Amino acid sequence: MHTVLQGWGLWLALIGACIGTYICRAIGVMLSGRINQESEIFRWVAAVTYAMVAALTVRMILLPIGLLATVPLWIRLLICILSVGVMMSRPTRRLVPALLTGTLLMVTYGVIH
Amino acid sequence: MQGMAGQRFHDRKDAFWSGIRDGAGAPAIVLFAGMVGFGAMGRTNGLDIWFTSFTSIFMFALPGQVVLLEMAVSGSSFVAIALAVTLTATRFVTMTVTLFPQFHKDDRNRRLYASVHLLAMTAWAISMREFHAIEAKHRWSYFVGLGLLCWLISIPGTILGFFLAGSVPTYITLGLILINPLFFLLTFTEVKPWANRIAIMLGCAFGPMFYLLHRESSLLSTGLVAGTIAYFIDRKFFRKKPGVIG
Repeated sequence: MHTVLQGWGLWLALIGACIGTYICRAIGVMLSGRINQESEIFRWVAAVTYAMVAALTVRMILLPIGLLATVPLWIRLLICILSVGVMMSRPTRRLVPALLTGTLLMVTYGVIH
Repeated sequence: MQGMAGQRFHDRKDAFWSGIRDGAGAPAIVLFAGMVGFGAMGRTNGLDIWFTSFTSIFMFALPGQVVLLEMAVSGSSFVAIALAVTLTATRFVTMTVTLFPQFHKDDRNRRLYASVHLLAMTAWAISMREFHAIEAKHRWSYFVGLGLLCWLISIPGTILGFFLAGSVPTYITLGLILINPLFFLLTFTEVKPWANRIAIMLGCAFGPMFYLLHRESSLLSTGLVAGTIAYFIDRKFFRKKPGVIG
């Protein structure tokens, strides 16, 4: 079905990811107080990051790998729409109720199925 | 406002424990749930407990961890994975740059390179909210208490999720692995800057297309293409004063 990265490749990916993540934190310390966070490069990097995380999120919902793929697409979409509905239903933060709604609906689907 | 009614904390120890207390609420529950969900994802995707929990200990950045996991499972090269994860971590540069200058100058030394590992979304958001009401010399201790709590709960969270996914009925596991995509989706509704909103919309549109075209590189290519287009759309149409230097 798909090739899972294995052995050394997997651990190299982990090491690379850890170093890359730490370097970003360290660069922040190095630059703190010396750079304007409104600069153009930061705006661009932020946009790229959001686009990446959005692509990842949509992919995990629409084209999931593994267990979620056994749930019909329309159920996955419906649960997401309902959770976003709970989230937007009030102007204040409703992250915890919205997250609970989605999770419990998915569990309910699993029980019924 | 600052120092109006004396100090908020007696000493560093007081500030440290107050940071721990402030962390132990709804934000920590969400973070913990995300880590449980991540652990469950690791298990259901066939990774081992060491790999799954090491990402929480040494990366401590959920979006990056999920990118790593998804790309590893879809067979991307380790170079592409490291690059994509590093890109998701660039938000730490801006987060650190906004937060760390608020520490007292005596605390702005080499130790910051160790404590910056504790910086993630949760601790950053709480610190940004609270720092204005904390005297400068106690901010660092407060931040370390808060960040340490967030980091320390992530590790048992991940391990718990990993073992839960293997031992509870499938319907519970289904709920657990939905937590992270749903969490990201929900946080998108709170994004304010137009460049980032457009980037999210374009990322959602291009993501599946690029994924079907070339799975291994799709996250990087979607991010770069959609992000760059969004940046220019924002710059051309949405900004009041283009090119202004603040």
